[in-house]
Amino acid sequence: MKLFEDFTVKFGCNLSLIGKNIINKSGRIFLLNKNLLKYSKMNFLYAGLYLGKIKKDKIFPSLYLLSILSKIKSNKVIVDDKAAWLVICGRDIFGERILKVEGSTKKGNLVLVLNTYDECLGYGKIIHDLDKKPKQNEVFIENLLDIGDFLRRES
Amino acid sequence: MNKKDFFIKRYKQLGWDFVDANPKQAIRINTCNIEPEKLLIRLKKIGVKLIEIPFLKNAFWINKSRVSLGATAEYLLGFYSIQDAASQIPVSTFTKLRRKKVLDACAAPGGKTVQLANFMDNTGVIVAIDMSKKRLIALINHLERCHVKNSVVFHLDARQTSVLNIKFDRILIDAPCSGNFTVDNNWFNRRTIEDIKQNAILQRELLTKCVNSLNDHGEIVYSTCSLEPEENELNMDWAIRNLNLKIEKIDCFGEEGVKNVYGKKLHSSVTRCKRIWPGKTQGFFICKLRKKW
Repeated sequence: MKLFEDFTVKFGCNLSLIGKNIINKSGRIFLLNKNLLKYSKMNFLYAGLYLGKIKKDKIFPSLYLLSILSKIKSNKVIVDDKAAWLVICGRDIFGERILKVEGSTKKGNLVLVLNTYDECLGYGKIIHDLDKKPKQNEVFIENLLDIGDFLRRES
Repeated sequence: MNKKDFFIKRYKQLGWDFVDANPKQAIRINTCNIEPEKLLIRLKKIGVKLIEIPFLKNAFWINKSRVSLGATAEYLLGFYSIQDAASQIPVSTFTKLRRKKVLDACAAPGGKTVQLANFMDNTGVIVAIDMSKKRLIALINHLERCHVKNSVVFHLDARQTSVLNIKFDRILIDAPCSGNFTVDNNWFNRRTIEDIKQNAILQRELLTKCVNSLNDHGEIVYSTCSLEPEENELNMDWAIRNLNLKIEKIDCFGEEGVKNVYGKKLHSSVTRCKRIWPGKTQGFFICKLRKKW
């Protein structure tokens, strides 16, 4: 699970999965509690909590994994209500909509996007240093995944 | 007689005068993910007006809404599920779900699986199976969205439950059925009595196989959203006569099951079933069964 741990470092996190019941089913990664462990050898489609998938050594995190990361020390931004709605619609984030920044502000880093209730809506890539003064409608964070994905994947 | 009149006459014989029902959309709060009071404040803030459903806990009808309830941040974060009031009843009739081993035998699209997980406080285990892989995708999305922690999902026909080699404490059979006119505008034209009889055969097969995977002191809750007695009271009457089961009394919204079906007298305990005619909710049928001792 080193790949996953390395991935979380990109958010400025130090998440350890050592000692956790992590199961890899054809590249899809699940976190099982002890009651579910006995099913781990069976041919299941889904079990416990889905953490994401690994494809060609690349990590595609689940929204649950992002929500775990948002509860520990990590790069995160809190956005206003309008931006929170636009994020769910799959849109990028304008600099002037960012209310608070924690962790790295540097261009190129990954950052979790939270609403004003401190709930993780997704993550993105910083494309302008976050300490720079934004111009109007200037995109600071490129949206890479958001909770609106639950709607888009079914349509 | 046209098809609609044919079915309406059947309902009249069962004691119900047909009314064209249009049930209000309903939600159920996933209390594992948010405190109900907090969610209610948030929904009010975004323009959702709710009416408490008197016969359920943490469930509300949508009176008015400025937003689409299936596209809010609160929904996408798994704080509530959209689930018709009547379809929330079957899971609520189980006794003591915490730490139990539960089979959700016809689980997709997963509304009741998430409800089970919530009622179990994510303890124990839910084995969720369904024969339709396509519908299982919707189930998996539900589980992921609502952060369900205690389920394992298999692509499996409930008639093959024995291959799991597990004895369950609780089994939910929300059986595939003919549905009813409140969920399908063209229902009266599409359905025939032959369809209904075919479904009844399948439902008996499901019951027969699932009973073999039930612990001696376990419970089965059988439900359908069909109004047709062949899929409901007649199946329950058959089950208690052939599968060594008895019907348990349940305390929930709905009318007594019908004891006299088109002249055929059924076992008196069939009245312990609950039949919900369409109105404020969609139509539903619920029965709780245990093994006889």
